Amino acid sequence: MNYSNLTWRHFDDPACAGVLSGAAVRRGAAGSRAQGTWVQFDVRIGLRNRESTVETVRFLAYACPHVIAVADWVAQKAVGGPAEPVLPESVHALRKRFEVPVEKWGRLLLVEDAWIAALTSPYREASA
Amino acid sequence: MTGSRKTVYLDYAATTPVDPRVAARMAECLTQQGAFGNPGSTSHDYGEAARALVEAARVQVAAAVGAAPADIVWTSGATEANNLALFGVANYQRETARHIVTARTEHKAVLDPCRELERRGWRVTYLTPGRGGLLDPAQVAAALKPDTVLVSIMHVNNEIGVIQDIAAIAAACAAHGTVRLHVDAAQSVGKCPLDFASLGLDLLSLSAHKSYGPKGAGALVVSRARGVQLAALQFGGGQERNLRSGTVATHQVVGMGAAFELAAAEQAAETARIALLRERLWRGLDLTGGVLRNGEPGHTAAQLLNVSFEDVEGESLLAAVRPFIAVSTGSACTSSNQEPSYVLRALGRDERLAESSLRFSLGRFTTEAEVDAAIEAVGRALTRLRRVSGSRTGP
Repeated sequence: MNYSNLTWRHFDDPACAGVLSGAAVRRGAAGSRAQGTWVQFDVRIGLRNRESTVETVRFLAYACPHVIAVADWVAQKAVGGPAEPVLPESVHALRKRFEVPVEKWGRLLLVEDAWIAALTSPYREASA
Repeated sequence: MTGSRKTVYLDYAATTPVDPRVAARMAECLTQQGAFGNPGSTSHDYGEAARALVEAARVQVAAAVGAAPADIVWTSGATEANNLALFGVANYQRETARHIVTARTEHKAVLDPCRELERRGWRVTYLTPGRGGLLDPAQVAAALKPDTVLVSIMHVNNEIGVIQDIAAIAAACAAHGTVRLHVDAAQSVGKCPLDFASLGLDLLSLSAHKSYGPKGAGALVVSRARGVQLAALQFGGGQERNLRSGTVATHQVVGMGAAFELAAAEQAAETARIALLRERLWRGLDLTGGVLRNGEPGHTAAQLLNVSFEDVEGESLLAAVRPFIAVSTGSACTSSNQEPSYVLRALGRDERLAESSLRFSLGRFTTEAEVDAAIEAVGRALTRLRRVSGSRTGP
């Protein structure tokens, strides 16, 4: 399997891998290890100009390099944006950006599902 | 991707580099000053010179596996040899027999011809080895039917390195009567003792490039003493006892002969050295935790180590170690399709563990420093990927 430079960069050094703890953290996950792909996002939300804004994101992923890279990219790009259950970029655009092969397109939907699950979940006291 | 000099090569079961001593012998056959003649041209000295080299190589290959030189039929490799063995026997005896026995853990070069034979009306019994990969010879005996014509079992498994008890399987076949025994020994030469004649084998597939010879060269050993008859699969010249028409590639078989002679001469010392390195590798990997060794301990070839890694996704593991070590997830012939190893699945590993397994295969040029570098690279990759996955977090 060949990977784009962008995929390699985020896969090799996923700066946002991890979990968040404390108040104002929302957590959501999708997929399962048993089926080969599992993604979880922790999102800390704050208020900026009276708007709910993404302050920090961390992710965990049991997944292939493409999914890890996309999850890391999403975790970085979402910061500062609106706290809405919408990815910073569409799945279609992410497929292109990361040159994800067609047989793996379905896995990117799990990234989107995990993001939506996190942003629509109630606030929780996430434990590390 | 071309391997960088920093990448440790641990995929000798996929292929080996040609030994420089072998390459030198091969080069002597290629140019105008060398034995470039057609070995089939007996009307002049050029052809005779090439033929002499081909026959000398036949002697070398035969000696390495305990066969008679006249038993050797040159092929392009073990895949062709396997095809010639299976279709050759089946086609020759199609009027009197319709059943073949093999194992689910065989190489695709045996399984795919068996599937094709099934499409042509043959019945094939696929035996399932125990969890360690070993077949019980009683399984073979129990599978034999009155119309069984052939049993095809590999000597050393190419993914997990398990060595089958070929002597006991041969005895089971002999007790049945006329059934022929074919053994795929592509991974054996220079690694495990194997004596074609004394084991009473009928057919043996060999490959040059697994033993520091060239790619594109192999042989099927066909026992004349045991009266084995095959139907040819290709026609046009009648070379190789009419079983494999086509001009013999002098430089290729000379390379195979030289490689096998070296392999046999150096087998004892080389195997002992590699076994120590393999155990060093296993001990180092075991220390990382969450690792499972595949294959029956004490019954595996020295060069192979197959390990399943818990709590990491298989493709990511392979990608993470790729810049540092060249390994595979299974057979080189199937690892490109990203499917979990059918061999490990047959041995009862679940799909996730089968996916997150690596085959390390060591060889003649493997060093202690390379083994230590591999341990370090795998350890780093496991630490990183388990951190990213949260290890046991989540469903």
